[in-house]
Amino acid sequence: MRQRVTVAGVSKTYEGDAGPVRALDDVTFDVADGEFVCIVGPSGCGKTTLFRIIGGLERATSGDVLLSGEPVTGPSPDLGIVFQEYHLFPWRTVRGNVSFGLEQLGMAAGERRDRVDEMLDLVGLDGSGDSYPSRLSGGMKQRVAIARALAVDPELLLMDEPFGSVDAQTRAMLHRELLDVWGETEKTVLFVTHDVEEAVKLADRIVVMTPGPGSVREIVDIDLDRPRSRTDEAFAAYQEQVLGLIRE
Amino acid sequence: MSIELETELGGEFEGDRGIRRVLLGTLGVVGFVVLWWVASLFNPPYVLPAPDAVAETFVGELQSGAMTTALVQSVTHWLPGTIVGTTLGVALGVTLAWSDLADDVAAPLVRVLRPVPPLALIGFAIAWIGINDGGAAFIIAAGAFWINYYAAYGGVDSVSAEFLDVGRSLGVTSDFGLVRKVVLPAASPEIITGVRTGIGRCWMLIIAAEIFGVPGIGRKILTASNNLAVDVVIAYILLMSLVYLVLDTGVEAVQNRVLAWR
Repeated sequence: MRQRVTVAGVSKTYEGDAGPVRALDDVTFDVADGEFVCIVGPSGCGKTTLFRIIGGLERATSGDVLLSGEPVTGPSPDLGIVFQEYHLFPWRTVRGNVSFGLEQLGMAAGERRDRVDEMLDLVGLDGSGDSYPSRLSGGMKQRVAIARALAVDPELLLMDEPFGSVDAQTRAMLHRELLDVWGETEKTVLFVTHDVEEAVKLADRIVVMTPGPGSVREIVDIDLDRPRSRTDEAFAAYQEQVLGLIRE
Repeated sequence: MSIELETELGGEFEGDRGIRRVLLGTLGVVGFVVLWWVASLFNPPYVLPAPDAVAETFVGELQSGAMTTALVQSVTHWLPGTIVGTTLGVALGVTLAWSDLADDVAAPLVRVLRPVPPLALIGFAIAWIGINDGGAAFIIAAGAFWINYYAAYGGVDSVSAEFLDVGRSLGVTSDFGLVRKVVLPAASPEIITGVRTGIGRCWMLIIAAEIFGVPGIGRKILTASNNLAVDVVIAYILLMSLVYLVLDTGVEAVQNRVLAWR
């Protein structure tokens, strides 16, 4: 299968007060086209730094990130980014937020309206288009953020603990919806989380990171049919395996 | 049925509170006027005229057209001064907060110029522009400038880096695009609050701006003060307050409309 993302020997060193701090050390892995990959690791393993580097928001000290074979040199609409804290534009309505990237592409108003409708339908927010983000719940905000990132049809959907700020019930619902959206759009998804259960529930493969400086401990294939149940024996076994790798 | 009843009761409760506030407010004003009136009994009119004497003067000035003339004269330099000062202040505040280079160049200048009160610029107003509406507008513009400069600077400075990340990742490539599409709307609450404060402050500044002889409400107050015509002073102070009240209520309505998303 074609490689969508290649992370090749990515290292990152920060200049700290007490000398240089190594956050990432020679991180290497691939994500295939249409694959759902989770990155898990203990806090402080540099997951978010890795997310920012892959998203073009930060530069690696050494190593490369390739998107469809081209090096990532900065943020771009090809890299759809979803943050834990949503970062919706509060001065724009739901429609205005989803439409933002389309406006930058110079898409005509009529076409844009159709695309926004399509996106709102995809994430189940057809009725809330004219609301401002301040009126929405956390779960709804994150649906808008996903719709906003997907509207410009990115090559990769990159998510950093996207469901870390919602309650457990909403999170379970968003998991199902995200998998539906993934199935429908056939996007490649790279999903950063510290929650092992979440990773086992969602991912085709899990990249397990070591504590700082972060590097890849192991990549675990999750060979389970979806929808997955956490009461399933095999599910629990995978969870144990990944937890074991993190604790090691 | 029961729901309707509850709503009605709730509405009545809200109404009660409203009426209470109006009643108490009226009581406060009436109490103040009574105190004023009592105090005026023990003072000559050139120290403290009675409220009814002031009311008479107010009506007289209004009927003679003197008040309207003064109002128009003041607005003639207040409005352009406020517009120019606000525009420059916002523009410079946004630019300096956004560009480190511009900030580094201008920071020492800003520090030196900031403490200069608009009133101290009268010499320049006279020398550069003259004793006219332009000179008075200059002083008002200086007042509007700093209020708006700091509001815009603070607003832009506090725009979260993540908004910029999102903007860039959704295809905004130029600095100009980021400022226009992300920074300005994100900072708009602070900027608009600055504009509103500036409009009010500049209205108060008309007294200072007219101190060197430009006609208007401020000039009226200063002349009347020199003549010990305290009733005229108070009448024009009341006019200033009334104009401010109308102005600020209007601007507040616009502010609430523009920032309805908050």
